[in-house]
Amino acid sequence: MPTERETGDLLQGTLGILILKSLMLGAAHGYAISRWIEDATDDVLRIEEGSLYPALRRLEDRAWVTSEWGLSENNRRARFYTITAAGRKHLRSEASVWLRYSQAVTRVLRAEPSVA
Amino acid sequence: MSTPLWRRYLGFIRSDVRADVDDELSLHLELRVERNIALGMSPEDARREAVQRFGDVGGVRDALVDHDRRKQVTRQRAEYVADFVQDLKFGVRALRRSPAFTIAAALTLALGIGANTAIFSVVNAVVLQALPYREPDRLVTIGTGSFGEYLALRDRLHSIVDLAAWTPVTHPVDIGGDAMRLHGAAITSNLLPLLGISPAIGRDFLPAEGKFGNANVVLISHALWQREFAGARDVVGRSISIEGSRFAIVGIMPSSFHYPSDDVEFWQPYVVSPSNLGLMWGVNGKRMVGRLAPKATLTQGRTELRNVWPSLRRANPLWDPGPEYGTSVSVTPLQSQIVGSARALLWMLFGVTLLVLLIACVNVANLLLARAVARERELAVRAALGGGRGRLLRQLLTESLVLAALGAILGVALGWLAMRGLVAVMPAGIPRADEISMSMRALAFALATSVGTGLLFGLVPALRATSANGSQSSVGGSGRRATAGASQLRISGALVAGEVALAVMLATASLLLVRSFAALRAIAPGFETTHVVAARVSVPDARFAADTRGVLAFYQSVLDRTQALPGVRGAALVDHLPLAGPVWGIAARVQGQFEDFTRTLPFIDHMQIVTPGYFATIGIHVVRGRAFDDGDRAGAPWVAIVSQSVARRFWPNGDAIGQRIGFPYDSPWMTIVGIVPDTKQDSLRDTTSASMYVPWSQASRRFTGELWLVARTTGDPAAIGATLRRVVHDIDRAMPVSDVRTMDAVISDSVIKSRFTTLLVAAFALLALALGAVGIYGVMSYLVGERRREMGIRIALGASRASVMRLVLRRAVWLASIGAAIGIAGAIVATRSLRQWLYGVSPMDPVTLLIVPILFLAVAGLASSAPAMRATRADPASALREE
Repeated sequence: MPTERETGDLLQGTLGILILKSLMLGAAHGYAISRWIEDATDDVLRIEEGSLYPALRRLEDRAWVTSEWGLSENNRRARFYTITAAGRKHLRSEASVWLRYSQAVTRVLRAEPSVA
Repeated sequence: MSTPLWRRYLGFIRSDVRADVDDELSLHLELRVERNIALGMSPEDARREAVQRFGDVGGVRDALVDHDRRKQVTRQRAEYVADFVQDLKFGVRALRRSPAFTIAAALTLALGIGANTAIFSVVNAVVLQALPYREPDRLVTIGTGSFGEYLALRDRLHSIVDLAAWTPVTHPVDIGGDAMRLHGAAITSNLLPLLGISPAIGRDFLPAEGKFGNANVVLISHALWQREFAGARDVVGRSISIEGSRFAIVGIMPSSFHYPSDDVEFWQPYVVSPSNLGLMWGVNGKRMVGRLAPKATLTQGRTELRNVWPSLRRANPLWDPGPEYGTSVSVTPLQSQIVGSARALLWMLFGVTLLVLLIACVNVANLLLARAVARERELAVRAALGGGRGRLLRQLLTESLVLAALGAILGVALGWLAMRGLVAVMPAGIPRADEISMSMRALAFALATSVGTGLLFGLVPALRATSANGSQSSVGGSGRRATAGASQLRISGALVAGEVALAVMLATASLLLVRSFAALRAIAPGFETTHVVAARVSVPDARFAADTRGVLAFYQSVLDRTQALPGVRGAALVDHLPLAGPVWGIAARVQGQFEDFTRTLPFIDHMQIVTPGYFATIGIHVVRGRAFDDGDRAGAPWVAIVSQSVARRFWPNGDAIGQRIGFPYDSPWMTIVGIVPDTKQDSLRDTTSASMYVPWSQASRRFTGELWLVARTTGDPAAIGATLRRVVHDIDRAMPVSDVRTMDAVISDSVIKSRFTTLLVAAFALLALALGAVGIYGVMSYLVGERRREMGIRIALGASRASVMRLVLRRAVWLASIGAAIGIAGAIVATRSLRQWLYGVSPMDPVTLLIVPILFLAVAGLASSAPAMRATRADPASALREE
């Protein structure tokens, strides 16, 4: 179990990617995004949900997502986020870096004598 | 997924960042609580868990609000800038499409701003700005008097303290090179402390140096220091010669100090021996300056002075000055005394420029109105295509702003140039000329006025285009447009008539000044002016006192050598050159009529001491008798020559030749040997020209310290000028030579103020005329544009092109006539205030009052001829098609 600080560091780098990935399914409000991440990771990455919103703002500042006010499922006013073309492109490149990185790490860890 | 309308609308105006953040976060928490409950938690647990999952709610909320606020500001700013840049481009493009309009409007603005700024800068520096002295508003002058009176008043006045006195002096000053004749001031030692000024280098006068016999010290001006000593630091302690006596330099004044006038180059202590009662009480002209005591008012000062001064009547040891003595004295703020006569001239010029500014504003308004018509269709279309009213207004405002900025930049440049030019041509003697600089107040005023006008009237087309009926009628081209145009035409017409009225007033004033100046210059002075050159040759007092014979011999050799110069036909000396300054008069005894010099004697307006060649040199022909000759020597019988009006006055029925007149004291009679015509002496405006001439060799004891050398030349007199200076300094370099000028220059210098005023007002009148022409052109172009279809129809229905042209011209001339009539009426009222600048012309001068309106009608016709030509080219076919 990583320490809290390490979780924070991990999330700093990956939360954006997770958000972008979640938005590939379509526009969503903040709660829906956090639910998706929760489900998709089987709640392994217990992100502090509050950090989601500053992360969304950062993504919006970089024009990787846009937001727009709409109505939620329960007819409440909600801010919906949509991934932009730039966002998709960024996600693709980040994802490939991530995958190569994790594959490399996995390969190292699986190498004899395997620790996993 | 649609936002409620009210929210969206609200958000359009100003989205509420905090509410949005709260909405977003609370939705999150509520949805999480709902899920937790659905998973079976109690409501309290559900809420606690949701908040715990979320983390620091307050911190996140604040961070988001902060972020969103900043972003909102940035976005708004960017949008605003983008809009502005777009409007700017649009405006520049629109202006470039109609260069004639743009140039006319920008130039109009520039002229209005420039002229106004320049003149107001001068008025501000000379009249309005506080004097650069300590507590300038407490400084007062109480007039002039003798030094005895000054001392008495200084001791007796309580509401006016630190009373100081000064008197202007002009002395030969010898610093080492050729001697100079310099203006200075003799001051009491408390004058500079009173003004709060101390020397930049060295020290002020000590109180002891105000005492008789201890006063050979001098302060010099910064300019003199730079010019004669090249700014050397060790000047203090050196001595210079003033009137032949040595004075030690104790200090150098700051370069900004010019009291009491700009031409003062040295200051010396004013001293008079207490035992010299004549100098003490008999010589007036000491100007007294003091400071109002703390809490004392000007009125209190006046009251006290009017009580105290008459009480000095008995203090005068020389004579009883009479019961009226000291009753008409007054206390004046120093500032108004210094500004003096320049004030009226400058305010008059300022009034003139205000008129020009007003005309410029009217003109800009008119041009913009005319342009509005031309663009009506374009703007109507844009409004119809959904350009919001606000947006359209902003766009036109930006366009006007571009125009105004163009005008303003040109105007500031023009104003600065005009101000420099004004200072350069300004006649000497305008006080405080060195303080003139561009007045920011003036600039702001002119900018605000003209730019404000531009912006205001720039909005008219936008308002019209975006008002409901305006846009409909214009797009549809329906008949209603004609009515809207008619009302606007009336406004434009009224503006043009008003503009012409103002310009006519200005032109009338200007023509009066021009005619008056012409009348002044047409006056024959009564002597020859071409081929005559003059120079003033001064002699230090100490030299004359010590060596009278030597000085007389000096003048004689100057005269001899000048006469011997190649190119010189004759030369003479005269104590006061005509038209170069006052030629003083004298009371005279007349044998057989007024012989008792203890009684009141008749006054002869001018008296000159001359050498025999004077009349021939300056071209005054002897009418009867003879000129002076070498036989009229010191020992010979005393002789005089008089002008015709003297002869007529005392011997109306007989011959003046051989009659005798005399000085107003016990002295030998002088026999009149010749009669000459009356000539102008003090100024071309002289109405008194009774003159009397006496020979230098018999009247040298009346010598005042300087004589003018006058030479008549065969060629260019200016070429001889430099030679005269050399002739004098070759004989004695301690004798200053000054004011070397041809007689033509002397005369034109004598009317320099009139010329300055006339030139300036004439320039403004021309400006007004040009602006008026632009205005008429603008409104006629507008009229033709507005009625193009009507003209086309007229032509289609068989009207001749000439009759269409007449239609336009008639309208222009009609507008100009109304304006001219109003202008003439206004001019008749306003030019009364010009009277002090007029000579030989009445403010009601019929020629002027006739020429000016005719001129403006001609200009109106000319300015409207181009639009009129355009009207005749109105195409009947297209006009009918549009219908």
